[in-house]
Amino acid sequence: MSEFEKILSTVFSVGTLQQMLRSATPVALAAIGGSMTEHAGIMNIGMDGMILMGAFFGVLGSFLAHTALAGVGLALLMGVLVGMFFALLVVRYKSDEFIIGCALNTFAVGLTSYLSRSYFGTTGTKGNPALPALHLPFLNKIPILGPMLNDQSLFVYLTWLIMLLAWLFVYKTPYGFWLRASGEKPDTLRTAGISPKRMKWIASILCGVLCALAGAHLSLGHLNGTFAENMSNSRGYIAFACVIFAAANPAKAYLAALMFGFFEAIGLRLQGYVSADLTNIIPYVITIIMMVYVVVRKQQRKKKAAPASA
Amino acid sequence: MIKQKINVKYLISLGVSVLLAFLVGAVILLCTGHSPLEAYGAMFSGAFSASRHIGDVLEYAMVLGICGLACDLGSRVGIFNVGGEGQLLLGAIAAAQVGAALNGVSAWIVIPLAALAAIAAAALFALIPGVLKVKLKVNEVITTIMLNTVAASLCQYLAKGPWKSSNKNLIAATEQLNVRYWFGGLMRGSNLSTAIFAAAIIAFLVWYVMQKTTIGYEMKLTGQNPRFARFSGMRIDRKIIVCMAISGAMCGLVGMFRVYGAEHLYRSSVSNDYYFEGLMVAMIARYQPLATILLSLFFAVLKIGAEGLQQVGVPNQIYLIIQTVIIFFMAAQGGFLEALTQRRDLKQILKAGKGAK
Repeated sequence: MSEFEKILSTVFSVGTLQQMLRSATPVALAAIGGSMTEHAGIMNIGMDGMILMGAFFGVLGSFLAHTALAGVGLALLMGVLVGMFFALLVVRYKSDEFIIGCALNTFAVGLTSYLSRSYFGTTGTKGNPALPALHLPFLNKIPILGPMLNDQSLFVYLTWLIMLLAWLFVYKTPYGFWLRASGEKPDTLRTAGISPKRMKWIASILCGVLCALAGAHLSLGHLNGTFAENMSNSRGYIAFACVIFAAANPAKAYLAALMFGFFEAIGLRLQGYVSADLTNIIPYVITIIMMVYVVVRKQQRKKKAAPASA
Repeated sequence: MIKQKINVKYLISLGVSVLLAFLVGAVILLCTGHSPLEAYGAMFSGAFSASRHIGDVLEYAMVLGICGLACDLGSRVGIFNVGGEGQLLLGAIAAAQVGAALNGVSAWIVIPLAALAAIAAAALFALIPGVLKVKLKVNEVITTIMLNTVAASLCQYLAKGPWKSSNKNLIAATEQLNVRYWFGGLMRGSNLSTAIFAAAIIAFLVWYVMQKTTIGYEMKLTGQNPRFARFSGMRIDRKIIVCMAISGAMCGLVGMFRVYGAEHLYRSSVSNDYYFEGLMVAMIARYQPLATILLSLFFAVLKIGAEGLQQVGVPNQIYLIIQTVIIFFMAAQGGFLEALTQRRDLKQILKAGKGAK
């Protein structure tokens, strides 16, 4: 019993929650970006590559200009370019988004590793100017939540704002309405005089930017100015799982990212008891079950609706 | 006649894409202060300068080819197997563990059992997305991507925990196989083993079934026009599920070949996203089996050749850049040409309109 209590208290400790928030943030940023493309009807599995490029160019900018802000700027610029490139191929030239996504991931591994070795040598780089952690003294007065939220990297707080803006954008503005229509009913949108292609371009660029931010946060905030080869470490795929889990709702995608972060955190904390490799599996299995549930429910609704309309 | 025409068109577009990709590579090399000619020269000699390099090229071509064919097989019936990486790893670890557990038993028993274990583990794992797709219409691309991570984590757990090697220097690996189970090497110092003969037989069978038999034709119909196939009385659901299982089994066997031919134990270097590279080869080959096999050879030359680049101080990842840029060009070409012809047609229509006035 005491063993069990010990496990429980580790699982629900402030440290775990802090870790959860920290691991969730890069994934959440990318997932919010992925929600945009998902709404526009593009299945974007190239997010991993987009994150990796953001991480690399973030560090490169910070390394060259000696300030982390320049890194974020460079990462953002590259994010726009990558998003435009993605849109050019997928939207303009109607290539298979899946092929392009796959190729983009590999391309990013190739390009960033190549450039990293050209600039920094085989081991990557460490200790470049990083984004500061924010210490907010008033937060510490709140029990549990206070220490959990405090002393996090700048982007952790920024992500909440971005999530809120993204949610408002998608569900409360005409642009968001058009965005959703461009994926669901492109012909109707065209009849209404708005180009679905343009909305897809916008979605791709937004996704590129948000993934680049996720990458910049990963290298400049989360890991204090470090770049290592392939450091996105499948986070793009996790973000993709979050998008699917959340049915492309940015707020739910953030929660899904928290779930993945939670399981990663307890995997790290419970190393003496359970293998982190096993706890890592749980959120993926939950995502698959969730997908099956969503699909089955949709089919049942259709069945129910069919006789009523007949 | 028509078939020939398409082939010529395809070859031209492939040639142009490869050429352009090497140009892009040359620009990147120039920008980072390397001579492209020197680098490409090193790449060529890296692949062909020694017999062990040629052996490695053939071994890697085998891995790419079978993975690519596994992808072809699924896409022929309209299911996209992105989960080959996980299936490969599971097949590899299952085969490795059979070999480790039955240490001492005759190789004539162990090797078939290991192959069976690899096939069973990988095929069963591939059945999950297959059945979900057919019975519930759950998108197989997403489920296979998720299951890749599940399989990789599971294998990592097994290699670190229950099936861990007694050798303390290996952090995450299974027990090394007894030497008498190893596939015989064919070229000294290379990874090439007799597994390549088994792979050749598999490749031939897949090509033959897909291109030369009624089943192959029915598969094509199932993928291209499922409604028609269903109405003409084919059991398309069963076909899709069987193809997915075979596709998984092929990936599992590649895992076994890697373990028994090259690594001699399971560890994560059994596959370094090799399936994804095979999948890209299949994409470039437009899912045609023969083209997949030929292109695997080409990309294996690039990959192994790229290791020679390090001798002239160029990071070998330029290979990944060239490979993916080829895909970008090939994928964009269709839409690009379409946009061009549309513009030309529009001009002609406008001209005709003016003439009529």
